Order: sequence, then C-alpha cells, then structure tokens
Amino acid sequence: MATTTQVRLRGRPAHTRGPTFLSYTPDGTKLITVGSNNTTRVYKTGFDGEPTNIDDCPEQNTGVASTDEFFIIGSEDGNVSKFSLDTMSYEKYLTRCSLPIRDVTLSSNGKWCAVASDELVVKIIRTNDTSAVMSLREQPKPVKHLSFDPSGKHIALSCTDGLVYVYSLINDEPELVRKIDGLIRTLETEDEISSKVVWHPDGRAFAAPTATRDIQVMSRGDWENQRTFTSGHDGDITALAWSPNGAMLASAAKDGKVLLWETKTQKMLATYDYADVMDIAWHPTNNLLSFTNTEGWVYIYNDFVPQEHSHLLKLPLQPAPFIHDPLSEISANARRPITNGLKDIPNHGARRGTPDSLDDILGSDILGDEDDFVVDDDGAGYALGLNGNGKRPNGVPDPYAGPLSKRRTQTWEPQIHDSFQPGSTPWRGNRKYLCLNLIGFVWTVDQDTHNTITVEFYDHEFHRDFHFTDTFLYDKACLNEHGTLFSCLTNGDTPATIFYRPHETWTARADWRTQLPKGEEVTAISLSDSFITVTTTANYVRVYTLFGIPYRVYRQKSSPTVTCASWRDYVLTLGNGPVGADGNTRLLYTIQNIKRDEICQSEDVVALPDGETIKSVFFSDNGDPCIYDSTGTLLTLLHWRTPSQATWVPLLDTKLLSRLASGRKTETYFPVAVADNKFHCIILKGGDQYPYFPRPLLSEFDFQIPLSSKPTPDGGDDEDAEAENEGDELNKLESEFVLKSVLAAQQQDLVDFTKSSHSQRTALARMEVEIDKTLLQMMAVECREGEDRGMRALEMVTLLRDRTGRMMEAAGKVAERYGRNVLGEKIREVGEMRLSAMEED
Amino acid sequence: MALPLQAGLTPMEVAFLCEMEMVTVVPRQRLERLNLLSGPTPALRPPHRAPLPLWLALLLKRQRRANILPPPWLLPSSLERILKHETETSPLAFSPPPPHPHPITARISPTDHISPPFLPSSTAEAPPDYLPYHWLELGEILLEAASDDVPEPDRVRGLLRDLREVRMSKMRGSVKVLEGEGGGVSKMTGVGAMEVAEGRGFILGVLDGLRRLGSSREVARREREEEEGGGEGSEDEAMGFE
Repeated sequence: MATTTQVRLRGRPAHTRGPTFLSYTPDGTKLITVGSNNTTRVYKTGFDGEPTNIDDCPEQNTGVASTDEFFIIGSEDGNVSKFSLDTMSYEKYLTRCSLPIRDVTLSSNGKWCAVASDELVVKIIRTNDTSAVMSLREQPKPVKHLSFDPSGKHIALSCTDGLVYVYSLINDEPELVRKIDGLIRTLETEDEISSKVVWHPDGRAFAAPTATRDIQVMSRGDWENQRTFTSGHDGDITALAWSPNGAMLASAAKDGKVLLWETKTQKMLATYDYADVMDIAWHPTNNLLSFTNTEGWVYIYNDFVPQEHSHLLKLPLQPAPFIHDPLSEISANARRPITNGLKDIPNHGARRGTPDSLDDILGSDILGDEDDFVVDDDGAGYALGLNGNGKRPNGVPDPYAGPLSKRRTQTWEPQIHDSFQPGSTPWRGNRKYLCLNLIGFVWTVDQDTHNTITVEFYDHEFHRDFHFTDTFLYDKACLNEHGTLFSCLTNGDTPATIFYRPHETWTARADWRTQLPKGEEVTAISLSDSFITVTTTANYVRVYTLFGIPYRVYRQKSSPTVTCASWRDYVLTLGNGPVGADGNTRLLYTIQNIKRDEICQSEDVVALPDGETIKSVFFSDNGDPCIYDSTGTLLTLLHWRTPSQATWVPLLDTKLLSRLASGRKTETYFPVAVADNKFHCIILKGGDQYPYFPRPLLSEFDFQIPLSSKPTPDGGDDEDAEAENEGDELNKLESEFVLKSVLAAQQQDLVDFTKSSHSQRTALARMEVEIDKTLLQMMAVECREGEDRGMRALEMVTLLRDRTGRMMEAAGKVAERYGRNVLGEKIREVGEMRLSAMEED
Repeated sequence: MALPLQAGLTPMEVAFLCEMEMVTVVPRQRLERLNLLSGPTPALRPPHRAPLPLWLALLLKRQRRANILPPPWLLPSSLERILKHETETSPLAFSPPPPHPHPITARISPTDHISPPFLPSSTAEAPPDYLPYHWLELGEILLEAASDDVPEPDRVRGLLRDLREVRMSKMRGSVKVLEGEGGGVSKMTGVGAMEVAEGRGFILGVLDGLRRLGSSREVARREREEEEGGGEGSEDEAMGFE
C-alpha cells in the first residue's frame, strides 16, 4: 500500500548547489558525501552533531565509493583520489584522466576501483597498487555508470549509446560477455537522469531504469527480462538502490518522489515526496536510508521503511524477482529423500562444483569474508582458498580418508537422478518448450495470470497449428499424430490434472480432463498410439486409454520415479534404484506391454558411466528404446523383448563427430528423436543447455558406432595418404558391418516377436544381404592388400550369413580375381562344410 | 545468315543448367515420391530432410511447401574464409573447388568421372569452405527465392559480391599472361560456370584483339621466312619438279 508520510524530514545543507553523491562504508559507521564544493563530509551513524569535514579535495565531484578504511572520489577535473578514513585526509591519486570523471565504484572486497570518464576507456585500477590497471575498451561512446556485481566477477557499464556492456573479470584479461540492447535509454554523461545498472545482492540479476520510467530486472544467466517494477514514477528515474538483503528496492525520480518497492511482489510499499534526489544509499544493517539532492542537501532518514514492513529488513538474503526462478524450479521438482542431513541443499556430485549452486549464488563472499583468516604461509595446503565456485577444492590427496567421505559422514545422502519430461526445456525468461519432437512442438508463454500454449506442427497439411489460453498452467506436454496430452501441478484447490486433446474428432467434444488424487503430483507423462501413461510422486504408474478410461494402475518398483516413455502398447518407466558404487543411485528401467500385460524387462540397469545421468529417453520410429546420456552418447536397447537379454548398444557418440574434429567448435546436442536410422537433434552453441526461441532447425546425424577415433585428415605426406585411404576404407566398412549387424538384430527381434508384415520380413532379408555385401567388400580390400592377409579374409568369409552358398561362390570369385588361389581353396572348403552341415540339419 | 548468338552459354542458360544441382530441403508438407526422368524423388515427410533438384525445391519453396537449407559454403563464416583465402592466402590463384567425394586413387574406378551436377556439391552435407562449380548462380538464386532461409542474407549478398569482384579481377588479370610470348593458358581450376560465361566474351575479345595485333607481325614473320627460306623452298620445289 502506498502511503505518504506526514513527518517531513529536514535536510542537512552539506554542499553547495550541484550534483551531490553519497556512500555508506560497508560496516555502516560512516556516511560520506561529496558535492560541488571542495569539502567532503563524513557523517557518523547515530550521531546527530556536525560531520567531520575534509577540505583538501577537488571541486565538482561526480562520484564517491568507500570501504571501511578509505574512500575514493572522482571529480570533473579528471582526478580520482583516495582518502583515508583513519586519518581523515588525502592519501594519493589513483589515476588521472584528461576528461571529467563520471562515475567511480569499488568492488565488494575493495581491491579494485573502476573509473568511468568522458574518455572511451573504462579503467579498473587496483586500489593498493595503481600500476595494475585493466582497461575495458569495447564500448564506442563514454560510459555514464558502472557497477560491480556482488562477487566482483562481472562489471556492468551503462554506456551513453543506450547499451549495457557486461564484462567478465574472472580472467586477467577482461572479456566482454554481453551487450544488452533495449534495456536503458540513450543519455548524455552530464544528465541527472540515471541509466545505472544495479545488481541484486544475490548476484543473479540486476535492475535498470528503462525509457518508460519502469525498472526492469534482467537475469545474468540467460540475459532474459524478468519481473518489472512498473507504473510508479511519472518522471525519469534518477536513482535506484536495493536494500542490503534484496527484499526491497528504493527508487527516486524527476517527479519528486522516492518510492519503496517490495521485491517479491513488485508493489509499492511507501511513497515519499523529495524532489531532485540524485543518489540513494541504504545503511548496511539498520532501517536507515540516506539520499542527496541537486541542491547539495543530504537527508538521513531513520526508520525509512514503515513499521509494518520493517520485518522485511530482518529477512536473510532474498532471491531476485525471477518470473521462473531456476532455483525454485529445481526444488519444486526434486524430491527430498531423507531429511537427516544438515543441509537442505542437494549436493550434486562432490567432485565438481555445480554451475549455479546455491552456495555460489548466496556465497559467503558477498558477506565479505572471502579472505580466509588462515594464511597458508608455508604452503602446506591447509588453507587452500575458495575455488571459482566458492567451495574449497577437495582434490587434496588424503592418505586416510578421501575428503569426500570425511566431510560426508554426517550429511551423506544418495545422489538421485532428478525427474524430467523428455523433450522439454526449463523456463527461460517467460517461455519454455513443453515438448519437441518430429511431429511438432508445444511451447508456453507465462502471462502472469495465465499461460498461452501454442502447438505447431511440421506437417502443415495434415494438422492445423493451434493456440489456446491456459488457466491451469500446464507444465508438461506430449504430442503425437493423434493428439496432445498436457498435465499440470496442483494449483490451490485443484489437484494435479491431465488433459488430452485429440487432433481429429467426429463427435462434438472429444477432449477430456482427469484429476489425480489430492497431494499426488505428475512427474512425467507419455503418449503413445494407444495409451497414456502418467508417473506420479506417489510412485504410481497410471495408464489410461486414449479416451480417458483408467486401464491400469500399479506402483513402480524403483523410486523415486524419473520419467517414462511409450510406444504403442509398450511402456518404459525409469526410476532410481539402489545406490551404486559411485554414490549415485542406479537408474533402473522396466518395459511392459500394457495390452498383453507382459513384462519384457523388469528393473534392469540403464548402463551409465560413473556420475553421469540421462538426458532423454524415447522410442525410435521402429519402436526400439533409445537413451541419450550426459556424455553425449546415443544408446539403443537390443533384444529387449526377451527378459534379461537386453543390452545397451551405443549408436552414436556425438563427441566423436567429424564436425567437431577440427577442435574449433564447441557445441552440444539436444536430442529430439531417432527416425530413419538417423539421430535428430538440435545443435546448441555457445554453452547453451537447451534450445530457445526462435526455434532452431533440426539437424540429423547418421549413426556411427564408436569404434576408433578418426585419424586427422591432413596428416602425413602423399605416400602415406594412399595407405591411409586403404585404412579408411576398411575402417568405414568395418563400422558399417557392426552398425548393420545391430540394426539387423533389431529387425530380427521385431519380426520374431510381432505379427510381422511381409515388408518387414523382406526388409530383414535385404539387411542380411547388405551385411554380406559389406563383408565381401571388406574381403576384397584384404585380398588386394596381399597374400599375408588371407587368414583375415577367410574369417570374414566364415561370418557370411547367407545360407544358399551364393555368397560363398562370390567370395571365391573375389579371391580368384586377385589371384589368391590358396584362399580360394579354403573358401571352397568352408562352403562345402557349411552346405553339408545344413543338409544334416 | 547465322543466328546473332555469341559463342558459349548466356547467363540465363547457365542459371538454367544450375537448376539441376541438388539441394537439401526441409518439407512442410507430405509428398509422395515422384517418378521423374532424372529418377524418382524421395518421398517427403516433414521434418525429415530430403535432397531435391533445385528447380523442384524452388517450386515447392514458392508454394510454401518446403524450406531450402542453404549449403554450408553459403554461410557467412564460410564465405568469409573463402574470401580471405582469395585475397590473402593466395591472391593470384582461384580458391580450389570442393574435393571429390570419392577418393581418386591410382586405380581407375567408375566414380572418377562423375562431376557436378551429378555430384551433390550444394546439399547440406557438402563440405564448407569450397566454392562449387555453380556457386554464383546458386547463391543468387537462393538469395532471391529463399532469402528467409539463408542466415544473414544481406551479409551473404555482400560477401558474394565481394567474391565475384575479386575473382573477376583475377580473371581479367590473367589476360596479362595471355599477352606474353607464346600466349600461355592461365590456370582455371576452381572457376565457376557463370564466371566462365561472363569472362568468355572479354577473354575472347582480348585474344581476338591480340591475334589481330599480332597478325601484322605474323604476316611480316611469314614473309621474312618466305624470303629467307623461300629461295630454298622454291629451289626444293624446282628440284622436286625436276
């Protein structure tokens, strides 16, 4: 609720008329103000008397920043000077520019000072060693504002060309990570209006005033617009500041108002009337806010946050206002299996730091204790600093107990595989893909009160794209030729719901909705030509027919459940099994034929390497289960219709693709489907994990069983090239042989276990002939190579599948053609033995 | 009277021939296999990619039934590398044509004599960083008919124009070699069809001019030869006739 306070605070005339700036020291004891006259004032918190004055400073100051020991002033004469707070006197010049300084700022640890001036280059100077300077040069115009993120690893520059430049300072050489267009407006460096980027104290997002007088929050991870603080100001915004715990935001504008906003709801908490405010600073701990105006006055406002909201200040660090907070998304999906651990943070993999763990985001370095008190002065390694993730490296060899077991004795908990919906992506900004496959794609846009869902098809002739407003907030979807299936989480009183909408119908209404029992959530859904499968948090697998008749309900043996997939009558469910040797739970799968009520594979292990997890699971167009794991390998299941005969066979290792051979590209692949003996995926570049908008094109790769790494194409001279060609040809034929054998085995299973059609049987026969042809080609290469390779050639002949003896004859002819008479003789013997064996049968 | 047609192919004819090149399309609609003179086309099932001759792909594109995937060499990054090769790495020679997909070895094989358009040099699987025989006309056609399928069409257009100018100037420059004694033939590996058609008029003109300029010298030389050797020749003749 917006309130205007009655008590009018008297300002303190600190400086002469002109721009005035202020800064609290991080310990909160002192407030430093600078203005247009040559006096700096240092106010003591809680002391109402005259401030300490420091007189020997320049005039026309344009910025101030402080640590507990010293403060920095920038002024229009181009000097950046450092003053000591102990002696209250001038210490030294940090740097000098030929043009006026526009902003100075200090990193949170006080080690680096960034300086923006009317020059194009922004300098970052070490405060205790002015010879150490980093320069940021990518911006084409002068920079008006600067701000370090709370960790000091990034700096955002508000440039006068209307763009925000974000640099990474992790390496010695600063690196431009992002140019943000359309966030701030174009301003002159002298303008009183602000375009300053203000980092939220949790470091994952920042706010900036926009041209429409709103305050836009943007996330650092994906550079997407998040929540907005709207319709508060009628004038251009001149100052912004987050409260120290990030729960509130204070803003001032040309309309003569100072507003207090709540971060979580983006609502105004209070309005104050103070004109021409230029700079706002929160006290680090107390309910105290100070601001300055262009008249040179300083206001120190005790109890700035109204009494009814003052509890907000006492809260711990609050998250930035995301539309879909990636952290809470994860925690909503993940199950807490055991709560006897001290931490409620899932420790994902002890051996590597998670890229965006809570420790990192709410890291200790924000509170300023990055400096460890133990100084490792003899190099014994007991005081190893925090690594890039804010965690101590645990690669220290320990003869008695690994650091893992040592620290995990109390809080050990198994690492489970999280549940996911195959083919979907997490929220990014306000959009997410619910389903991506070869039929089409389903995506949703968050419109605050509702979502809008769009279903698009690749085949525009068969199906018409459709679009609807979704008040149930569906978060999972499946799409196939016949219909679309949606599911949503419990929302208030409405329990979790599944919704099926067929594409074609001859009755008035064919779509249906079904609710799960209260308290049960959907973990994954899948849709096949005949059944709908839903796995839930209560460990039930619920199978419905396409028209909503509950067909089977059974409890999944392995839990917590991970995901499910289905094809015709077959349903594959994945769940977490017992803990394996690597500390992760084993991923177990079950394949069941729903109609015949047969279990094909029961609680068998999904073969995954140490510590890796599964990215997607789906059935190929031939109905064979396929998985794509986090190592980038596509595997398929062989002989899965016979219980306990199933084996996982790699079909493609994307790390060995020839397009990556040059080493220039780094890309990952988002699996979409396997069809036509090809792997369909979306190529992701630039470290992306998931596809985003606009929808990228599908790419397809041929299968390539990882047998050997390819030799570099441009190695060796021409003489070797000939030999290499032979080797290449043989390698190619060998991998062709293995791949064709796998595919033929799958086809064989299909023919044996289903009522196979004639075309399927002829396809199988053709595949076998193909295998034999490949073998003959391999044999031809061997024969050409020389007499001494004859034994290998003979072995190939014994591998021939053909039962009629024609292939044997062909092999004999090949041997004859190359003049390998001994080999030809032996081939004839093999052929005769085989024929006689068949006759005996 | 002879037809007023110049020797060689007109640009229209070259572009027409180029339409036989295979390109990769992503269909947006199903289409059964068509039995054409050049062989059956693959059945189209969205979103599976399929190779089609350019003329058919353009037809489908115009009816919004398919999207054409630009060949990898038409991407700005690849064109930039080719341009760099043309201007910096080898400022005198043309950039090489794509390598033959079937390794050519000492052994003679039937694949040795296959050449475009029967080699797919502009499908999505074609190698990047090499300009195929029909690069200019294919690039222009795709930019005109399917500019929404080509990433950064304006930059591609600019790069194609740059490449064309660099290579045309090389082509004209090669005339200097022709001028020298003996009239050597400059190396033409990697020159595209349209460039040959464009350059033909100019080079033929130059050669013709050179021949005409040289003709007086040639006549003089022949006369001198006749004068010097003429006596002998006539003597020989005389002797022969005797």
